[in-house]
Amino acid sequence: MASVLVQECERPGFSFENCQRNAFLASKGFPVPKAVKTGTTIAGIICKDGVILGADTRATEHTTVADKNCAKIHYIAPNIYCCGAGTAADTEKTCSLIASQLELHHLNTGRVVRVVTANNMFSQMLFRYQGYIGAALVLGGVDNTGPHLYCIFPHGSSDQLPYATMGSGSLAAMAVFETQWKPNMTEEEGKQLVNDAIQAGIYNDLGSGSNVNICVIRKGSVDYIRPYGDINAKGKRQGSYHYKRGTTAVLSSKTVDIEDVSVHTVEPVESMDTSA
Amino acid sequence: MECLLGVAFRDFVLIAADMTNARSIMVVKDDEDKLHKISNKLVMAICGESGDTTQFAEYIAKNIQLYKMRNGYELSPSAAANFTRRNLADYLRSQSPYYVNLLLAGYDDETGPELYFVDYLASMVKVPYAAHGYGGFFSLSIMDRYHKADVSKDDAYEIMKKCVREIHKRLIVNLPNFKVQLIDKNGIHDLPPITAKHLAAEEADVPLPEVRVI
Amino acid sequence: MSYNGGAVLAMKGKKCVAIAADKRFGIQAQTLALDFQKIFEMGPHLYVGLPGLATDTQTVHERLKFRLNLYELKESRHIHPKTFGNMVSNMLYEKRFGPYFVEPVIAGLDPKTFEPYVCSMDLIGCINEPEDFVVAGTCTEQLYGVCEALWEPDLEPDDLFETISQALTNALDRDPISGWGAVVHIIEKDKITTKTLKTRMD
Repeated sequence: MASVLVQECERPGFSFENCQRNAFLASKGFPVPKAVKTGTTIAGIICKDGVILGADTRATEHTTVADKNCAKIHYIAPNIYCCGAGTAADTEKTCSLIASQLELHHLNTGRVVRVVTANNMFSQMLFRYQGYIGAALVLGGVDNTGPHLYCIFPHGSSDQLPYATMGSGSLAAMAVFETQWKPNMTEEEGKQLVNDAIQAGIYNDLGSGSNVNICVIRKGSVDYIRPYGDINAKGKRQGSYHYKRGTTAVLSSKTVDIEDVSVHTVEPVESMDTSA
Repeated sequence: MECLLGVAFRDFVLIAADMTNARSIMVVKDDEDKLHKISNKLVMAICGESGDTTQFAEYIAKNIQLYKMRNGYELSPSAAANFTRRNLADYLRSQSPYYVNLLLAGYDDETGPELYFVDYLASMVKVPYAAHGYGGFFSLSIMDRYHKADVSKDDAYEIMKKCVREIHKRLIVNLPNFKVQLIDKNGIHDLPPITAKHLAAEEADVPLPEVRVI
Repeated sequence: MSYNGGAVLAMKGKKCVAIAADKRFGIQAQTLALDFQKIFEMGPHLYVGLPGLATDTQTVHERLKFRLNLYELKESRHIHPKTFGNMVSNMLYEKRFGPYFVEPVIAGLDPKTFEPYVCSMDLIGCINEPEDFVVAGTCTEQLYGVCEALWEPDLEPDDLFETISQALTNALDRDPISGWGAVVHIIEKDKITTKTLKTRMD
């Protein structure tokens, strides 16, 4: 009986309690279902006085497009953003975990957090999980020491680069960078280049698609452009498949009016005596 | 291989379990009792990994008895079923899961007879009739055909016999004997077991249908 | 995911949302019950659908209800559907390496502004918050196709009901392990309408 009440107190970290059962199910021929993967094109460059990150907006589940317009550029700190590829939940949760740790770091030190700190925290976390957290990241930001761009792999290795791509569309995007990137590009040139690189992924990689998102990080300001341009707009519907009211055969119908919206409350029985 | 059957009607619920205990390819016992009394008006039919079955049934039964002693009243069948499910689900995620399928048949003084189906993954559903094991493939259709809310106790027993007869006829596995219990507002009642011997004798007595001769 | 079968779908309308699911419970091909609940009420304007492995549907529902009760006790107010979504997501991601086999679908209205909200998740809690509709279960391919054709913006509650019901019933007809009855909840500012649908029983 106690288990019903006592357990639940949340313990930090991952829980492995279902693993044995799932292994048993897998042995019976019911493998663990697949999670949403972002077959992705993400890219980033360093330009004259900032960093420009770009991403497509498609999330896939097997061969189905699960989300046509998702955001793959995640907030890390006011001056740092991060693009994620790989298992969607992993990129999302890893980024938000590091973001909150960096916020605490910022509050403790009172300084603008550095991109290198974020890079270290990401690579240490991913290395600790030995690649089982499937997050491939392009991390970019501007701090006191200037613009920085890092490419972080799921196993925890990382590179500092002037231009980087990741995800299944990384080859297409890198082809664009390799031919057109040059040092000290202006912001406008940079945005155009990242846009071209992401579009190369969108059109040449099946796992990437829909729109381009771009995030420009300068010293002191950020521009999150979502979407950048309007490619792949849905065609306008010519006719209507509207069903007339009463088409569906209904067996029973019940309407409940919402009037009283009560919430569970606990009245403090007696406030604690805090006087000396 | 094993088989549990249960049917709920308006005033009572009928539950049956085969009485075979088999190890690998050998039948060890044909008078095993797979029906466990959980409380005054609640019976658990249980099958699965032998050992786990008795162990789990007794664990649940004793805990429900303990609840009654501590609180001065019994758990209702639905509360007991939810308690059983939660325990099974928690054990499923432990180092030593119980591999058991079960049916819970009980009589709630407020709402009447109830039947719950719980499988080894701890999925639970309240159903009018249910079966576990290969026997379900043959008996569910019979229950579907003959189930009505207001059926007399004799007719209900007859439906159960129909199911067992079909299992004997179609299922390759040897399950000769079925123990049957009935739960109503007065508690748990033992009904005569449905056995192959018994059915054969009955069949022999039945006169052959008349053939029209021209 | 395809052991017990089942499908859930939610759609946004004009100042309303709808969530619908089938009612089958089966073990692989053997149908055992026609009244299995996959959609649960989590507040006056908040519903969650949990298709997937039936045991996890029930366990996850119990745990969510527990966490939600604690939230309401602590905060003395109703949860925002988006906050609830994050609560579900965090609960699922906690079990990243031994997940519950459920793909939650959340539909609700903002407790203050009554703005419609729908979202879905994969089994490890990756949130998907689209503008139109979300689907989950064993016939998602069919549901995606039919919803993509039928859904249009700003549907009135009655039209939304017709759209979601037709989308669901037609998708169910192409999935052997879902169906056997369906239930639809239309959530509006001042009322909840729950309808059960007549569907094919084969």
